[in-house]
Amino acid sequence: MSATLPKKPPLDKLALRDVIDLSLWAGQLLLQHGAESARIEETVHRLGTGLGADWMDILVSPNAIAVTTVSGEEFRTKIRRVVSIGVNLRAIEQINSMTQRVIAGELDRVQVRREIEQIVRQPRQYTRWASVVMVGLSCAAFSQLFGGDWPVFFTTLVASMLAMFVRQELIRRHFNPLLVVIGTSFVATIFASLASRFQWGEQPQIALASSVLLLVPGVALINSAEDLITGHLVVGIIRGISGGLISLGIAIGILMGIRLMGISGL
Amino acid sequence: MNLLLLFQDAFWSAIAALGFSVLFNVPRRMLAGGMICAAVGHAVRTFLMQAGLDIVPATLVGALMIGFLGIGFGRYWRAPSLIFTLSASVTLVPGVFAYRAMLGILQLSASTDPAVGGPLLVEATTNAIKTALILGAIGVGIIAPRLLFLREKPVV
Repeated sequence: MSATLPKKPPLDKLALRDVIDLSLWAGQLLLQHGAESARIEETVHRLGTGLGADWMDILVSPNAIAVTTVSGEEFRTKIRRVVSIGVNLRAIEQINSMTQRVIAGELDRVQVRREIEQIVRQPRQYTRWASVVMVGLSCAAFSQLFGGDWPVFFTTLVASMLAMFVRQELIRRHFNPLLVVIGTSFVATIFASLASRFQWGEQPQIALASSVLLLVPGVALINSAEDLITGHLVVGIIRGISGGLISLGIAIGILMGIRLMGISGL
Repeated sequence: MNLLLLFQDAFWSAIAALGFSVLFNVPRRMLAGGMICAAVGHAVRTFLMQAGLDIVPATLVGALMIGFLGIGFGRYWRAPSLIFTLSASVTLVPGVFAYRAMLGILQLSASTDPAVGGPLLVEATTNAIKTALILGAIGVGIIAPRLLFLREKPVV
């Protein structure tokens, strides 16, 4: 393989260490913020070779990432454990454009380090209250898509805003992720079932189904499908299972809620 | 086909996608892209389902629209297409089917009578299969542009 590549000057040990550190860091950010496996492999490879390595080998696993970088006769391997910490597409976009600039030769290792540090440090663009309102609106929009009327719309809106607030609080207190899902879906169900209890609107059960949609593991499940199709079977299967577990958590929360409120079924 | 209903469908899907975009921290100037993807993708699916197509092929066509629009927006904003396709395709995710399947399984554990358990098992299984097929359709639809037209020699 390396015979077909243009000859690059071999990197010294320190430079090689820098290259693997930076590309692994970028890969870690992509994995923990919800990128699919193919993108992670490609980005890390392009970043490392763009910074002067001859070749990069990347192993993406559901909760770790391993990279080997090769330059001349030298090689280095590094593994890092990665914990998923919620989707952040802005970070993925910034790493993508940074990689483009590295390929174009506009950034060197020092500048790449500065860029990544800036990406890690920046706060989220939307405040937690903006998230509460927008996520509530999103679930209420789903109730409209399912054919609900306005009383159901407003019940869903309040129920899912309340649920989003509870979710943020539970996450802040470092509860187990599945416990967060169960608690959040329980709270959403308790409030949404008031609609069924007091017959708000024509089909109050729509409020029950819509108000927990903020929890649906869409990214895990979509990434799982993509990874399976592109041949990243291990990561795909694990993502599918974690999506299934979250769905189970949602169902447990709903079940506890409707039993407590004495509502029958969805 | 009622055009007003279709327009409403597109509008509410865009709002739903906007909420998820905020949750996913999509860059502000690119919010519109995901909303348009969702509006088109979901409205196409609704239209096809009302025209008599099953939800799985209808989702495939809707996701294809999202996938191709995502590539277009990605070129326009010079950004990876998943920024637009991810929050848009979440509106197609069969959340209700997924937790109905799980609810069915949970209720099944409490029933010993086969006459009660039988229908529950059928319902849970149908919902689980439907969920898996719809998710597969979304996955295929989103990466279809890459599978069909943007084929490159893999770098790794």
